[in-house]
Amino acid sequence: MAPATWPVTSAVRRVKAGFARLLRVLLTLLSHYRRHPLQTMFLLTGLVTGVALWSAVQVINAHARASYAEADQVLGAQASHWVRARQGQGISVDDYVQLRRQGWRSVYPILEQRLTTAEQGVISLIATDLLVLPADAATGDSGLAEGGWLQLATPPFEVWLPETLAQQLGVESGERLQLSSGRELPPARLFSREQQGLRAFMDIGAALTVLDQSRLSYLVVAELTVEDEARLNADLAELNPDLALVANQQRLDLNELTQSLHTQLSAMSLLSFAVGLFIVFNAVRFALTSRRHTLTTLRELGVSQRLLLAAIALETLVMSLVGTAGGLALGYGLSLLLLPSVAATLQNLYGAVLDHNLLLQPQTLIQAWLLTLAGLLLALAWPLWRLARQSIQSQRDEPADWQQDARARRRLLGFSMILAVLAVLLYFRLNSIVMGFTVLALILFAGAGLLPWSVALVLQGIQRVLPASAWRLNWACGDGLAQLGTLRTALMALLLALTANFGVDSLVDSFRTSLSDWLQQRLAADLFVQSDTLDIDALLAEPGDWLVESHRRNGLTVRWQDRPTQIRGLNTETSDTRALPLAAESDRASDWFDGAPDVIFANEQARYLAGIELGDRVQLPVEGQTVSFEVVGFYHDYGNPTYQFYLPHERVEALWSTAGEQGLGLWLSDDADALARAEAALTRAGARPGDWTRRDDVLAISLRVFDRTFAMTAAINALTFTVAGIALLASLLAIHQQRLPSYAHWRSMGVSGPEWLLIVGLPLGIGLLVTWLLSIPLGTLLAGLLIYDLNVLSFGWTMPLIWRFEPALTLFWLTLAVAGFTFAISALQVRLRLPQALKHLGEDAA
Amino acid sequence: MLRLNQVVKQFAQPDGDVTVLNGANFHLPVGRSAALLGESGSGKSTLLHLIAGLDTPDSGDLTIDGRSSLTLHTNDWNRLRRDRLSLIFQQYHLVPTLTVLDNLQLQARLSHRLDTAFRDHLIDRLGLDGLTRRLPHQLSGGQQQRVAIARALLHRPALVLADEPTGNLDEDTSERVMGVLVDLVRETGSSLLMVTHSAHMAGFLDEQWRLQHGQLRRLSGA
Repeated sequence: MAPATWPVTSAVRRVKAGFARLLRVLLTLLSHYRRHPLQTMFLLTGLVTGVALWSAVQVINAHARASYAEADQVLGAQASHWVRARQGQGISVDDYVQLRRQGWRSVYPILEQRLTTAEQGVISLIATDLLVLPADAATGDSGLAEGGWLQLATPPFEVWLPETLAQQLGVESGERLQLSSGRELPPARLFSREQQGLRAFMDIGAALTVLDQSRLSYLVVAELTVEDEARLNADLAELNPDLALVANQQRLDLNELTQSLHTQLSAMSLLSFAVGLFIVFNAVRFALTSRRHTLTTLRELGVSQRLLLAAIALETLVMSLVGTAGGLALGYGLSLLLLPSVAATLQNLYGAVLDHNLLLQPQTLIQAWLLTLAGLLLALAWPLWRLARQSIQSQRDEPADWQQDARARRRLLGFSMILAVLAVLLYFRLNSIVMGFTVLALILFAGAGLLPWSVALVLQGIQRVLPASAWRLNWACGDGLAQLGTLRTALMALLLALTANFGVDSLVDSFRTSLSDWLQQRLAADLFVQSDTLDIDALLAEPGDWLVESHRRNGLTVRWQDRPTQIRGLNTETSDTRALPLAAESDRASDWFDGAPDVIFANEQARYLAGIELGDRVQLPVEGQTVSFEVVGFYHDYGNPTYQFYLPHERVEALWSTAGEQGLGLWLSDDADALARAEAALTRAGARPGDWTRRDDVLAISLRVFDRTFAMTAAINALTFTVAGIALLASLLAIHQQRLPSYAHWRSMGVSGPEWLLIVGLPLGIGLLVTWLLSIPLGTLLAGLLIYDLNVLSFGWTMPLIWRFEPALTLFWLTLAVAGFTFAISALQVRLRLPQALKHLGEDAA
Repeated sequence: MLRLNQVVKQFAQPDGDVTVLNGANFHLPVGRSAALLGESGSGKSTLLHLIAGLDTPDSGDLTIDGRSSLTLHTNDWNRLRRDRLSLIFQQYHLVPTLTVLDNLQLQARLSHRLDTAFRDHLIDRLGLDGLTRRLPHQLSGGQQQRVAIARALLHRPALVLADEPTGNLDEDTSERVMGVLVDLVRETGSSLLMVTHSAHMAGFLDEQWRLQHGQLRRLSGA
């Protein structure tokens, strides 16, 4: 060997030897998990369940954002401009072709039509020319390739139906839908594009042929520069003066609009991850406690502290990889389950439509792994820090955990006080959703830190008042205090889940009640009519004695503060307008009812999201100029993602020539046949069946939509509760496994089964009771924060907090059931393993 | 008090079954004490577990306090252990969350046989005065074992089974603890069977027996 190379070889050898030592130590540490499969299972369960829910939400969020981006590109809902016929008679195909020939490649045709099926079902159909769609949508869109646009555009053609719509209509794949006109649509294919919503989709050529149409509804124009806009206007004027270029005022930035909802989802999933982390923390704690002697022995055998910590870090890495893989697999499955609920929420709140083809994106994988690793390190940090600080002898002689627990409880209490103070300080600076959720997390963890101290306080209090003769109860309380260190993480996890459940339940409950009351007031009329074909003037000219009162609304959408903003014109004389409850009003509110021209009412969204106040002046665009109004009142407008203003009907009519009918409310007389006569009159005036809805139906539909919207929060809460249940089970099984020698000794002294149940079960019951009791004020605080702050910051809605005990009671029974179930499983484990433990009595230290 | 008749006990091991008791016979009259000697792994603790009903023999019969093990069911064993037997281990097995007083009263309370005068006598005899309000971890090993002895005797059991009760203690403490144990067993009229490695400790008892090759052989004793 050349002298120059041997130091290198020696260094390599040293590294190899070091690595071999590290591997040996790692294998020795991992042997614990081989021997204790239950601990391994729970460690991984914590990681997997925590990561699963978090990654499920991340997958959905990423998918939703990708959908919004795509929706911006195609089909026209998000187009910058439209070309429409001024008289509303549609656009001829020839005009469209001429525009294309003139080089307007960013113009594409849309045909929209409402069709009545042979069974009197109503569907909306949308058709476009896939071949002329913007290049990125037509070529780079896997959806179209999947969908097979060739079949869509060539005879016998196809109609794409979203699955939900197909189910509603009772149509199966390949079946042709019969229309009331006697025509039939091409064979159905159950497939949908995000932007299609609940509409049937066809190629425009096919639709024109099948429906025997010769005119297009409108043309959609993708992004236009100012110069292009002027040039297109000129070309349109020359081609056909009846055609007008209209800016799309309704264009929504879905990404921005839905941001708060996605933040809320992320926060809820992070809570679930935190609950999962409690399981991990417990499992790691057990693993390190159980391996204390192994670790000490390794140190005694000459393994350095650094090597030991490196081996544990490596073990953490291995665990995080396994946990992430499992968590992502489960998370993907969960996201498929949750997607319909999230999609329903997004559609109901924002009109955003998601399809059901989910993709697991690389950044989600990396984020999930980093989160798992961070969680594991967090769980390991404290025990490892303690381990690193201790000498070999003190590790061997370390007193039992329960003796250290009083100190740990005090530390947790102090920590919880710090978190509470931080929460209060941050609350007074609250101005964003992320900050709101940070306050919420601080409150939750402050509560969790308070719990072990509270349980100990109750147990010690009971011990103090017990008479000497109640020695079994005394023993039970003492035993409970001793087990608190082991049980506390599970109780803390349960507290988080209970608090989140109670808080969100209270929020949903309050919201439902407020919405229901608001709807009752807002939907004062007996019939609501929304029709393109109804001649309202004719209907109201000779109303007949079935009609008591009518309310005709008009309105339009303008762009204000760079957001679509609805202007609605109300009749100031009708009873519903007169009874309009205002969330806030200035002295001049009555001027609005008197028809003053310069005052306006705004919805709460405009107040809280756009930041206007009573007395402020808003400038609204009125046909090329702006008109200024003083805001004199704010009204509740639940469920509306856009800003809205109320003006008197006549004022809207006078200011905006483009304002259209926005529905008609009809109050019917008490006659038994008033409804039938109203329906007959409506039909005579041109309305079609389906154009009017009865008040009770609107109410029922609205509340059904509300329930669908909040199904997702219920699902996430249920899953978080399940994770907490697993945490409890993991703790109980671990406690019982660790304490089997003690139980065997108790049994050898004659402790009976019921006595064992009392000693072990009673403190658990007290712990659960305290946890549940603490979750009530914490949950109320959470609900208050969600309702009074986060809800306003997110959606601009205010409502009162309606506190009810029933949800707390339901959670109590649920906790009891989960605890009973987990305790029964762990007790069964004890029963099965006790005979073996009795045989080994005297071999292990108690 | 205790009789073993042709007791056999085997354990399955990876390299074949191991017979630890092979037709063992033994008799311990009421009020007598016996030491059971033997090498490590000879089956002494197994025998003690069989006598306490913590394990079951493969064949043969044990008669305790006039009752045959063949007629005893799990609940009968539980009651027998609670009311008529006592176990003392090398590791003391005190309940760490109960005070010394609660620990030593525990089995007597479970069997509803708490005699407070006798309790005070035991506390006095075992030198536990002034320690009764402490927790087990605040005591020395010798003190903890004395609490375990008091607990084992307070309900006046018919038979005390002790497995290396002084194994964790130094020689002087062992002798003191042993002396008190034997005196108190005699005082209560109980029988005592003690597993030990130490011939010196065995000398404190009435009889000495050795367990070897699965058989019990009496070494000495009046």
